[in-house]
Amino acid sequence: MLRTPNFCLLGLSCLLCGCKVSPPSPLERNVVVAAEHEITVGNRSQKNPLPLTHQTLAAGKEAFGHYCVVCHGLDGQLTGVPFADRMSPPVPSLTSRQVQDYTDGQLKWIIDNGLAPSGMPASKGTLSDEEIWSIVHFIRHLPPAGSLGEPDVYSH
Amino acid sequence: MKLNWTLRISLLALFVISCAWRLSRAQDPPRRIEIVAKRFQFTPGEITLKKGQPVVLVLTSQDVEHGLKLEAFNQVVKSKKGQSSQVEFTPTEVGTFVAQCAVFCGSGHGGMKLTIHVTE
Repeated sequence: MLRTPNFCLLGLSCLLCGCKVSPPSPLERNVVVAAEHEITVGNRSQKNPLPLTHQTLAAGKEAFGHYCVVCHGLDGQLTGVPFADRMSPPVPSLTSRQVQDYTDGQLKWIIDNGLAPSGMPASKGTLSDEEIWSIVHFIRHLPPAGSLGEPDVYSH
Repeated sequence: MKLNWTLRISLLALFVISCAWRLSRAQDPPRRIEIVAKRFQFTPGEITLKKGQPVVLVLTSQDVEHGLKLEAFNQVVKSKKGQSSQVEFTPTEVGTFVAQCAVFCGSGHGGMKLTIHVTE
């Protein structure tokens, strides 16, 4: 029911702004975030089947390092990512409420299926279920911002 | 009294035979299975092992570095491009287990699996 007005709003925004990347308006941002949390992102009730241990967190950090770091930074907080605020919508810090308010099941769903409209790709098949669940644990226990430096790709 | 001695000797003989049999089994060379890894599959994709029988898995990577994460057996082996590495273990539980590529190798990495059946 809510999808039609949302798509109309997005369509209108596209017509007005063309292809140029620009920050979403607060209204656009709030509508999309609310729709994602309440409607479009599924798997709300699934629990993380992996126990929270040092090994699981280390595995999550390693799996996160495969390629998530290119957009999210080693710390999940965009450290050293030069385009994080130049995308539309901007890449969110994974410590933000926008991300942390998702349930574990929803985070798994987003990593599996990607998230539109955003640049978040679908990783199902690229990462195993176990790797994705370990990443969910890592996202819940991120290190302090800047503590891991920046991804190698941006410093060479 | 005589029967008692016969029984004792028989039991001792049984014990010696049992020990010798176990020793001979322990000295059997482990079974060796060659596994080839290539984006994004293992060949063969399924293997069957026997519970209690030691096995050596030899992993050869053809294109990029791959690995085998054998969670159920608490083992990991990694192999660089064009090289082979091996891991030895003895399955202690019957069942079907799935091993996963242990080194991120590209877009199909998450589906790169080896199924291991362990039978009695």
